[in-house]
Amino acid sequence: MSTRRAERQRIRRLTEPEAAPGGVNLPRWFWPSFTLPGIVWLLLFFVLPLYTVIAIAFGTVDPVLRTPIPVWQPWWWTTSHMTEALDKAFGIFSPVYVRTFLYVVVASAISLVLGYAVAYFVARHTSRRKRALLLILLISPFWISYLMRMLAWINLLQPEGYVNEILTFLHITPEPIGWLEGRSITVILGLVYGYIPYMILPLYAFLDRIDQNVLEAGRDLGGSPVSTFFRVTLPLSRPGILASLVIVSLPMFGDYFTNTMLSGSPNTTMIGNLIDDSINTTGQQAEAAVLILILMVILIVPIWYYLRSTAKAAEAR
Amino acid sequence: MTGHPRERPSRLSRRDFLRRSAGTAVALPSMSAILAACSKPGSEPAREADLLVPRPDSPVTLPMNGDPIPADTPIEDGAELLIYNWDAYLYKAVLRRFVEEYSDHDITFRAITTFNNMDEAVAKMQAGQIEADVFFPTIDVVPRLAVAGLLQPLNHELIPNLEANVWPVYQNPYYDQQWRYTVPYVVYNTGIAYRRDIVSDDEIRSLDNPYDILWDPAHEDRVGVYNSYRDTIQTALLRNGIEDINTDRQADLDVAREDLLEMIDLVNPRDSINGAYKLLPRGDFDVHISWSGDIAAGWGYVNEYTRAEYEKLGYWFPEDRRGNVDNDCIAIPANAPHPRLAHEFINFMLDFQNAMDNFSWVGYQPPQNETDVSSLTSTEGLYSQVSGWAEPAEYVLPWMSDAVIRREDFDVGFRQAPLAPEVDDRWHEVWQQYKAGVDASG
Repeated sequence: MSTRRAERQRIRRLTEPEAAPGGVNLPRWFWPSFTLPGIVWLLLFFVLPLYTVIAIAFGTVDPVLRTPIPVWQPWWWTTSHMTEALDKAFGIFSPVYVRTFLYVVVASAISLVLGYAVAYFVARHTSRRKRALLLILLISPFWISYLMRMLAWINLLQPEGYVNEILTFLHITPEPIGWLEGRSITVILGLVYGYIPYMILPLYAFLDRIDQNVLEAGRDLGGSPVSTFFRVTLPLSRPGILASLVIVSLPMFGDYFTNTMLSGSPNTTMIGNLIDDSINTTGQQAEAAVLILILMVILIVPIWYYLRSTAKAAEAR
Repeated sequence: MTGHPRERPSRLSRRDFLRRSAGTAVALPSMSAILAACSKPGSEPAREADLLVPRPDSPVTLPMNGDPIPADTPIEDGAELLIYNWDAYLYKAVLRRFVEEYSDHDITFRAITTFNNMDEAVAKMQAGQIEADVFFPTIDVVPRLAVAGLLQPLNHELIPNLEANVWPVYQNPYYDQQWRYTVPYVVYNTGIAYRRDIVSDDEIRSLDNPYDILWDPAHEDRVGVYNSYRDTIQTALLRNGIEDINTDRQADLDVAREDLLEMIDLVNPRDSINGAYKLLPRGDFDVHISWSGDIAAGWGYVNEYTRAEYEKLGYWFPEDRRGNVDNDCIAIPANAPHPRLAHEFINFMLDFQNAMDNFSWVGYQPPQNETDVSSLTSTEGLYSQVSGWAEPAEYVLPWMSDAVIRREDFDVGFRQAPLAPEVDDRWHEVWQQYKAGVDASG
């Protein structure tokens, strides 16, 4: 009997009373009860806030103070805010939805190319010690708040900032570039910078788990390093790529701060900015709640695709 | 309402992101609102609808919410004065002076700045989450707060400085006749701030329509507007000679909409809350819609604190003074734990010297009788005097006299008054279309 099998049987004896007469008798609810903290957490910090958003979206507005009044009972819901916001979503807001989609696609693609290269290097071409150091360096941006990092970028990107100084010193550009003068490229690069760690870490985890023997088999069968990468490593890391893309693109869709800090131009407004604007405007909070719900519905599509792909991959295995 | 002089974040750059960082805070429903929602909800128009939309030509007298405190109410010993205010909208040196003056009563103060916009401040007061002695509301929320019973009437006997020191227009303001609930805090007008090293004083003043400078392609990528729909749309209206800055006519709003979309096409403007007082002095903009108080405080944000740098800041307001002129208020919440001390504080802030010292730091002018253009543009303020790191600066730099508010301005200027909800929605929709960034070509 292999050691692993023996271990499995030992665990079964401990946990299943009928399979282990004389063992520890655990009630049926024991293991499921471990999910309780998670369920309570989700109820308090996801389900309740989400229902509050829904209750505000379908609720009314205080006639004197113009603050939102959530309506908890669905039979008293009013759809006026929903209709108005939907009209806008398909009307005056449509350029913002298109723009946000484009920004997120481009920023995710850049993150993927850069992030994959870094994750691949760390997982495959570094010693164990260096790997730990590199991972710490990769995580280090998380130690500083996102806002602080964006503020730092504002200083770096100013006409007299280091970025322009380097570019002009190297004669890449004759005069400073107005990075902060409402440019799409700045917002996209800001998104890449802000979210790329979320891309690298899961990719690294996937790449690191690829069995070395599989790669060696590829090489033994005559594959060059390049063809082994494209025919073995890349297909095997597909679930990792998908997971990273979902993790990165979801928060990008709702991001408003990058644009507020690095641009402020109507030509770079994202969905998050419209939501932020409505939240901060008297009497418009119900509309903000509807816009949040619309964004959630849109984001269900990539999540659904991701879940379907991973389920298929699991079946194939 | 988004953006307002009161929403000017603190003088430290740190404040900018603090304000915006918490800016996502959804206006959480109050407990009373939650309870109210347990019965059948309704959103029928307020019975007091007329009271909520005062105009200079149709002033309102707000209903009394009980009686003011008696004049012989003793000053609360050992009290902590709770100040519910915008972050950095009150000079701490002046506050410390107040504490010193009342040291016999062993008082202290605490500033509560846990809100990002007026709505959030109102929502927290409505929910009873905030206990405060003094609050600094904008005009648009004063009638709402009073009608909802969230303010207490003032005892005029305890605030003699109002009658003694403050401009006549505030002895009986249109939004709060008989000043039952409020005293004025500061006044300001809305014009255009510009970089004098790029746009000369003569250049902007010689334009047939100086508002056009905000649409001038010569300043592409260097034009700024406030992220405040009222102020930005109002600028487009005034550019077109529409002087009703509280208009409910759709045709007027359509004109403003077209102009703002054209602005995107011509100059790629950027909106922010700190553009006028910080980013323009730093060199990020050529021209910017500006509240007078923002640009008056602008010398504190230039790259080097020298007169030569100060001289790069300019400000234009219509010569005939036909532009937006407004004010902020101070009020006492209904649940104030130390109402007598709050009255003392209000009276203290209406004292000439205290008001002026506060002005030197905040940048927003108090409506004091003793102020005039020549004295404000020739006298160095307290904050400049104690700032050893900066070259001296007058209350208002001499070449920016347009930023000094005169009492006569209220005779010809336009007040930005609250809008009825349906009108407000249409204004906001114009702003949303601007924010969406569809240029004139569609």
